[in-house]
Amino acid sequence: MIYDFFNILLPQGCLALFIFIQIMLAMFASPRLYKYSRLISAIGISLSICLLSTVQVEPQYFGMRGGIMSDGYTSLFHFIILLCGFFTVLLTKNIMNKCRQNAYTFHALLLTAIFGAMNVVSANDFLTLFISLELLSFPIYFLIASDKGYLSKEASFKYLITSAVSTGIFLFGVSYLYGITSSFNLSEIYNFISESEPSLLYSFAGIMIVLGLISKLSVFPFANWVIDVYKGSETSVLAFLSTVPKIAMIGIICRLLVFPLSNSFEITFVIAILSLITALWANTYAIRENNVKCILACSSSANASYILLTASLVSVYNLSTVIFYLICYAILDILAFGFLNAAESTKIGMRVEDFNGLFRQNKGLVISYVAGIIGLAGLPLTSGFIAKIYLFSAIANSGLIFIPVLLILMLLTVVALYYYLKIILPLFKECDKTYEVKILNAAYSQKFVLYITAIATVLIGIYPEKLIELCRFIAYNI
Amino acid sequence: MDLLISIPFLVFLPMAVSFLIMSPLFSSNEIIIRRFTKGFCGFHFIYALFLLVFFDSANPYISRLSIFGLDWIQSLGVSFSFKIDGISMILSVLTSFIFLMAATASKINIRKNHKFYYSMLLLLMSAILGIFTANDMFLFFMFWELELIPAYFLIGGDYAGDYSPENKQSAVKYVLFTFAGSMFMLLGILLIHYFNYISSSAPSALFENIIMYSTPMKIQLLIACLLLAGFGVKLPIIPLHSWLPDAHTNAPTPVSMILAGVLLKTGAYGIFRFNYEMLKESFVIIAPILAVFALINIIYTAFVAYSQKDIKRIVAYSSISNMGLILLGLCALNTLGLKASVFHMIAHALVTAGLFMICGIVYLRYKTRNINALGGIAVQLPRLFGFSVLIILASIGVPAFAPFISEVLTIIAAMFSDMSLVIKICALGALPLLIVSSCYMLKFLHRAFMGEDLSLAKVNDISMHEFVVLGSITAGLIIFGIFPSVILNLIN
Repeated sequence: MIYDFFNILLPQGCLALFIFIQIMLAMFASPRLYKYSRLISAIGISLSICLLSTVQVEPQYFGMRGGIMSDGYTSLFHFIILLCGFFTVLLTKNIMNKCRQNAYTFHALLLTAIFGAMNVVSANDFLTLFISLELLSFPIYFLIASDKGYLSKEASFKYLITSAVSTGIFLFGVSYLYGITSSFNLSEIYNFISESEPSLLYSFAGIMIVLGLISKLSVFPFANWVIDVYKGSETSVLAFLSTVPKIAMIGIICRLLVFPLSNSFEITFVIAILSLITALWANTYAIRENNVKCILACSSSANASYILLTASLVSVYNLSTVIFYLICYAILDILAFGFLNAAESTKIGMRVEDFNGLFRQNKGLVISYVAGIIGLAGLPLTSGFIAKIYLFSAIANSGLIFIPVLLILMLLTVVALYYYLKIILPLFKECDKTYEVKILNAAYSQKFVLYITAIATVLIGIYPEKLIELCRFIAYNI
Repeated sequence: MDLLISIPFLVFLPMAVSFLIMSPLFSSNEIIIRRFTKGFCGFHFIYALFLLVFFDSANPYISRLSIFGLDWIQSLGVSFSFKIDGISMILSVLTSFIFLMAATASKINIRKNHKFYYSMLLLLMSAILGIFTANDMFLFFMFWELELIPAYFLIGGDYAGDYSPENKQSAVKYVLFTFAGSMFMLLGILLIHYFNYISSSAPSALFENIIMYSTPMKIQLLIACLLLAGFGVKLPIIPLHSWLPDAHTNAPTPVSMILAGVLLKTGAYGIFRFNYEMLKESFVIIAPILAVFALINIIYTAFVAYSQKDIKRIVAYSSISNMGLILLGLCALNTLGLKASVFHMIAHALVTAGLFMICGIVYLRYKTRNINALGGIAVQLPRLFGFSVLIILASIGVPAFAPFISEVLTIIAAMFSDMSLVIKICALGALPLLIVSSCYMLKFLHRAFMGEDLSLAKVNDISMHEFVVLGSITAGLIIFGIFPSVILNLIN
């Protein structure tokens, strides 16, 4: 057990240590020192990222009596999750000023959620997966509710109910799978399934499990929370919510689809249909939205559905595409929410009109933001363009029967371009002399996040080869 | 040194300069930015001419000059590859020239936001040059999409001081139309890539590596239609044209010159590169249908142009009509048709840039584009009148001007096309174009320049900048009208 810890669990252990430190500080430290909580979290996550290098990835390692595994795939996902977590922590300045006494608690919860997300990806056992899933969900309820006002409480409650229902469905599916195979271990289940005849009951259990997992991705049957939650939460929480849980979920769903739930046509079919419905719903819903947060909520839902659709057509090529798209999307989303975070700290509203004419006074920040939105829309010189082409080519290569699906997705990206333009337009608007254009009062940490992500977006857009190679390497060795 | 005489230098230099102008390090003084851009465009034109002089497909020196390739995304087989052949070379020089004219014309038309305007102008230049020189499908597509960003800001921005919400609407309309079209095109490109991968089992997206003849004909037709949906928006083919009059009307004059002068030609170039060269088998089947569309383009928009009140809209519709003629030349599927088509691209680019310039000059002086409110300009602006007569006569297709050659060549090529009777009938049907186009153009000349002087305002005749633009365009029209073989010999 202790060998397992030193072989693969050091990053998680480091995070656990810092969670403990934050809780202790929350109990004993003076509330006046709340500003240091952010620094402590940042140090914890950076240390954890450094410790990722100690993790054994080659060959695959199964630790904790087969409950947790480690390979290149999990390490890459851990790295992305930690990186997104790091950026989120840098964006938490506003909310710390809002909830001064609770700043330590807030960061303890944030770290716990990251800890949960890491374990979700590396779970090799449905029980580990379930516990990690709860570890991921529970802090998020409080994170959402941490903003002041009625809306955030409502949002938190909605998220709680959706998550509870989906967890129930997930457990239902797991119980069926246990009934068939009498095991919780993914490897054992895979061995059992690959030897036996495919049965409908098995597909049913698989569908239930995936349905339980996709609620965090805001895919169709559980998509309705996304608008309210995004409207009600603070932007740094959103930067977290739109990246870390989604990355973790995609990570585990891809692994499940490749590994124990493979060779089932029904599961692929159901996921494909659900993600298509989500893409249609999210993109059409966003047209009439006027709140930037809500538009980005729909966009995150739509992007998750593209990823899920590609992941459901299981192949190595598609898996590498999914990982690449996920990385690009996470960077772009943090960029977008980072800008909104800066706007929020300047007391700018979240309606589209509230951003009128910001370009004149804040050239650098606005250009970074526009690069992010252009990337989400999938226009060139940004990572979004490469990611979109790569994703579409993966779907096209999956077979000619997916051409109509692909055509629908492509036309939906045109709709998406419309609402992304709706976000960009007001920034460049010429305003009257009487209208006072605000100067965004962004802290250094916020500027750092914005510029770093913008540079990464453009760099990946111009030279994606290394990242694609990495994704392919990981996908081939799963 | 190799890099300095290469195509990426030609393509990416404007982009680099665009970022330079955009950067906070560069001066924000209007005059410095304007002169710098103008000077750069002049340099670029000379550089393009220099490449043209050295360009010769028989010369071994050219093999270094005409191809440039690097790997870009290996897993997709996408390479960062450029290639110049005769048509690319001509269109690149044309692009460079039109941008030089537009940059010169910007002095009088652009009143604010200089920094943003000029950097977007150069970014657009880079994108268009990239479209004309790309040797890889995905690279082509990247430039095709890249062009949307600057074009959007150029059409929808507030530069001339007469901003209205319609500007933004027409910019959004333009972007959505093109983006929707390009999505169809992307699907076509992905299908080509997929089937090429099946037949040659090596992922490659280079134009010369694509082998499509082993693909089933139905698939080829599907791909051809998907691609045509993309190019048809840009060209435009008639049911997809409704973005064009709005975009041209609301854009500032230099941007209109660029839009009609070179941006529309990217559509024709795409049809040539993809449908005409790569999917030749299916193009043989599609060509008669396309010829009918071309005929509709020519006749219908000519009548629409005649009924317009806004002078910019007249010119915009006339350019749709002329693009139909270019399409007809391609549909003839013989060398003469191709030559005529490319020649008409150049002739029409010059004519339409000149016409938009005239509209811009008139609008600047009289603050109206309504043809009924204008009159008697000839008395007040005699020099403008002189140029207008020349350019309008050229656009009608009077001998000694370039469009005459290309129109006649197109009709002859279509008549002698051995593909299908439909194309010959279309060529016969296109002959009335000459009459209708002379009707609306002469109406423009007659109503606006002749007749009673309706305006009381005292205005100045054209300035030096305007003189240079109109003069060089007219010179080009006459030179190519008298020595068409300069261009025709470059196309094989």
